[in-house]
Amino acid sequence: MSLKSVLTVTTLGAALLVAGGSYAQQPNPMDNVPDKMPNDIPYGAPISLERADAALAAAVAESKRRDWKLNCAVVDSGANLVSFKRMDGAQLGSIQIAEHKARAAAKYRRETKAFENGVQGGALYLLTLDDVIASRGGVPIMEGGKIIGAIGCSGGTGSQDEVVSKAGVAAVK
Amino acid sequence: MKTKPYLTLEDCRKVGAAAMSEARKNNWNVVIAILDDGGHLRWLEAMDGTTPFNSQVAVEKGRSAAVSRRTTKSWEDRIAAGRNAVLNMPVLPVQGGVPIMAEGQCVGAVGVSGVQSHEDEQIANAGIAALGLGK
Repeated sequence: MSLKSVLTVTTLGAALLVAGGSYAQQPNPMDNVPDKMPNDIPYGAPISLERADAALAAAVAESKRRDWKLNCAVVDSGANLVSFKRMDGAQLGSIQIAEHKARAAAKYRRETKAFENGVQGGALYLLTLDDVIASRGGVPIMEGGKIIGAIGCSGGTGSQDEVVSKAGVAAVK
Repeated sequence: MKTKPYLTLEDCRKVGAAAMSEARKNNWNVVIAILDDGGHLRWLEAMDGTTPFNSQVAVEKGRSAAVSRRTTKSWEDRIAAGRNAVLNMPVLPVQGGVPIMAEGQCVGAVGVSGVQSHEDEQIANAGIAALGLGK
């Protein structure tokens, strides 16, 4: 081994040590153990078809008013599809996405925007969780502090989908 | 270029409402699914008391009828007649899926699940009748 390569190896080793040292000094936020559980929301009785339809009627009306063509879905507290409407001219790819957003919102008891924010912030492990969709537009439907279902809309931008979903939720509050 | 009729959401609402009232009249709890001519879901309502199984089956019956342009009963009958190879085809061969024909062309289908198969089909037919398309 030449002197030059020995020097290179030594320098590289030192650099790795420094890097390792600085890594160890930064605490991993994932190691934090909070006292309380996040999103500790109980599941309630499944939403009735009547209310699911009231939510979707409001969502579709809001979407129509803005001349958006969306797919809108409502699932119950067991994440099962209860009602679905595809507006005239809405894209086919969003049939599954609308239901997926609603399902994920019910299963994880939070807006799908939480996943979008997390992934945007670099928490890529979220994408390895089962049945997650990291796109806003899935919103839980609550009653008396319990989750009774969720609505999901898809077909526009995430922000458009979310506006329509929230119009649906507002109608059955 | 050829043109063909298109099933609107308003049409789906009519079909769904008529099918729903047929089910309610008989005290039947069912899932009603309406699909377009490509077998893509357009409209679905699951009445209270139905199961997730019913939703899946209603969609699958509707999809089968839409893409094959035949009732799912016709597929069921073929198997009953001994044509076992049909079991390997991409359809659900159980009565309760009915295509919607307009001007001689298939514009979609209705799939129903929740009660006995012939009753499911009765509901689907009642729904389609609301469009006044004739046979």
